[in-house]
Amino acid sequence: MDVSNILASHAAKFQSIAVEKDTPLDVDTGLLTVTDLNPVDEDSYKDNLEEYLQSTARDGIQTLIASLYALPTRASPDGPLAQLPPPTTHLPRAKPLPKPKPPTKWERFAAAKGIQKKVREKKVWDEERQEWVNRWGRDGKNKEKEEQWITEVKANADVDYDPVKAARDERKSRVAKNERQRLQNQARAQTALTDREERKKEIERTLATSRVSTASMGKFDKKLEGEKKMRGVKRKFEPTEVPIEKEKETSLAILSKIDGDARRSRKEKGGDDVLNVRKAIRTASRGRGGVALGRDSGRGGARGKRGGKR
Amino acid sequence: MLRTVKPKNARSKRALDAREPKEVEDARTAIFVRGTHTGEVVNGVMKELMALKRPDAISFSKKNMIRPFEDASSLEFWAQKNDASMFLVGQSTKKRPAGLVIARTFDSKVLDMCELGVDKFISMAEFKTQKSTPGHKPMMHFASELFDTHPRFIQLKSLLMDFFNGEEVESICLPGLEHVISVSLAPASALQTSGVDSTQDDVKNLPKVHLRSYTIKLLPSGTRVPRVELTEMGPFLDLSLRRCQAADPELWKAAMRRPKLKKQDIEKGLGKKRKNMEVDEMGDLRGRVHVAKQDLGKLQTRKMKGLKAAPGEGESDGDSGDDAEGADGSARRKKRRRD
Repeated sequence: MDVSNILASHAAKFQSIAVEKDTPLDVDTGLLTVTDLNPVDEDSYKDNLEEYLQSTARDGIQTLIASLYALPTRASPDGPLAQLPPPTTHLPRAKPLPKPKPPTKWERFAAAKGIQKKVREKKVWDEERQEWVNRWGRDGKNKEKEEQWITEVKANADVDYDPVKAARDERKSRVAKNERQRLQNQARAQTALTDREERKKEIERTLATSRVSTASMGKFDKKLEGEKKMRGVKRKFEPTEVPIEKEKETSLAILSKIDGDARRSRKEKGGDDVLNVRKAIRTASRGRGGVALGRDSGRGGARGKRGGKR
Repeated sequence: MLRTVKPKNARSKRALDAREPKEVEDARTAIFVRGTHTGEVVNGVMKELMALKRPDAISFSKKNMIRPFEDASSLEFWAQKNDASMFLVGQSTKKRPAGLVIARTFDSKVLDMCELGVDKFISMAEFKTQKSTPGHKPMMHFASELFDTHPRFIQLKSLLMDFFNGEEVESICLPGLEHVISVSLAPASALQTSGVDSTQDDVKNLPKVHLRSYTIKLLPSGTRVPRVELTEMGPFLDLSLRRCQAADPELWKAAMRRPKLKKQDIEKGLGKKRKNMEVDEMGDLRGRVHVAKQDLGKLQTRKMKGLKAAPGEGESDGDSGDDAEGADGSARRKKRRRD
């Protein structure tokens, strides 16, 4: 049965979506932008400007729409949401990158000890009232001791001992302590190294390297007035006797550095100046690698598809 | 300079926090400024461009004595005061009739500027067609090889992209794509395409810029990808390049700094490092698998009678075939098998 007629009539109903250009269009789906790097066709430009502009724009947008519709989508109430890749064109930022907050003393301690941050819920369950109440604040659970109508007092307590006042003082002192710590953290954050100081340190380091970078390692250089004496690196020697375990470890580390590094061995590539072996393999195997190449040649052309003889 | 404000209540604190720098930035807010004299054309152009830019646009309705190329201090002041990072200054003088200056700031300092002269302007109102919804993201189309080679046009492309489409979004609603802004150039003379040194001066020689905006219509094509048809929407602008101020390299470098990649992006292979995977000499992808150290003490070798546990050790050695043995007995048998 010949279906070419049916196909042709079906195709005639719809207009083509193919776009043919000499230079393929540069599509940046992340920013919904398409750049047409083909030179302007002067004849049609002069002939009918608006029509020419509209037709080039249409071609470009058709390509962009095609790449947008090829993206993975997610359903939403308004229609399919296309997941955009990160943009390829880099635009300048409007504000500098946000600076990381200096860690508080507790945060530093927690990081050192590996303590995970836990979010405390603001409400706690009150067994007596059988409802959720605030942990602090209005009708807070932390004021329970002050508000209860009867309090147990030890027999040997002072005559003027006020249990409500004692509970309140304790709570207030906790608040004051927290505030004090907050202020201390703030003060500490301000004394942290500023950009300027970091730059200064960097310059000092560069200066130190440049001072020993002459042929005499800085021995015969002219000294400037007020130049500080450089402090060298203190040499540290390994002890002559180490446990056998440690010695084994260091030797193994050296060994693995010598031969185990695949990344290094890759750099010392085979072939000579004439033939780049890696590239040759890539071309011959059409980018699929040597194993695929070997598989293809081993099978032979005549046998055809895999599993054909089963 | 503005004094730094300390927030007095939670609401103003939130408002100030919203102005803090973010890792992924919002769209740039543009301020539309009128110079000392703006003709009818410039007024119209600014109004229509503002219609396209809405809602990220602030209009300064009063006239301002401003010359951005000579003194940009007021731009910097406004940028900080309004938390805006883009300007469109309209000014018409005898020397430079119908001029538009697009300026961009970084950290409320002027980054770069470009002046455009409006040669022809056709308003939206002249096309009796449907307009796009305000706030929808446009698609952009640039047509000319100069957008990749000529520094002036590279800058223009970057400015226009930032103006209309700078925001980075994760996903977009496909039926929400309504309009297109197309920027094309007139044919370039041979001198510009070949000569690299024609970067400066001779602004007259630079080709004209045609800025067009269309709405799109998606027709069924028989495949998944629809066929696109464009309808004129307006405004249509013919622009010519005038003065420009390129970005200061230091400032540009600071503005182009990217945030560090997230850990999950690196693991996905977007970042630089993919652990334990490598393409070897033969172009094959090789993975490395780390296996825990094998305990050779538990290796099962050939079973020999002589290596069996001594008979004196367990008293119930003889009845090994008995099924009715207790739980502890079977456990012992298992243990022996493991040895």
